[in-house]
Amino acid sequence: MLYALLVYADQTRWGEMSEEEAAAARAESMPRWIAAFEELERADPNKQGIELDAATEAKVVRVRHGERVVTDGPFAETKELIGGLFLTRLPDLDEAIRLASIVPAAEYGSIEIRPVVER
Amino acid sequence: MQFMALIYADEGAWETLTDEERQSVYARYQSLAEDARAAGVMRGGDELASTRDATTVRIREGQTLVVDGPYAETKERLGGYFLFECASIDEAVDWAARIPAAEHGAVEVRPVYFDPAEA
Repeated sequence: MLYALLVYADQTRWGEMSEEEAAAARAESMPRWIAAFEELERADPNKQGIELDAATEAKVVRVRHGERVVTDGPFAETKELIGGLFLTRLPDLDEAIRLASIVPAAEYGSIEIRPVVER
Repeated sequence: MQFMALIYADEGAWETLTDEERQSVYARYQSLAEDARAAGVMRGGDELASTRDATTVRIREGQTLVVDGPYAETKERLGGYFLFECASIDEAVDWAARIPAAEHGAVEVRPVYFDPAEA
């Protein structure tokens, strides 16, 4: 089955760090992100990963009664926001859970696993 | 530049639709995808299964916590996305405004930061 692993994290934690702290945090987590990518690729050589820009860059579009309303900022008002996703074809949910748990963001955010509808 | 259009809508409303109504919504999505393809902006898109089938994974203090259900218990939930290649976010917003769910839900447009699949 094709699964989307949605990566949710509190993006404000980056804003609260100094540049040095942010650089150190990135350097510390980078090998683990690379290891997670490699493991995902072993599980599914065609896996895709998409990382989104900061939610502050987002625009939200609604159309009501034919009128377009565009606002700045992310849609969700939750503390943790989607920051990216992986698309992987995996044998079962257990494998999806195993892979979700090696994504570094699982330790400070949440990984939501959703099957993708294939019609 | 790539932009992801994240589609948020009330799943309950979708479930009240008849098969015929759903087919007509799918037809609108299909025609949007075809137009985007013809314009050379279509880079991908997926429909996610209902959050009833979601599983959320977190690791806290070394313990893996797996819960049934979505990351957030909000009324409008992420149901899918389009990936558009556009020259600007305004152009991506134009495409996002054509997504049928923009008429009752909301579409968040976010620039893609980095695509590991292309790295």
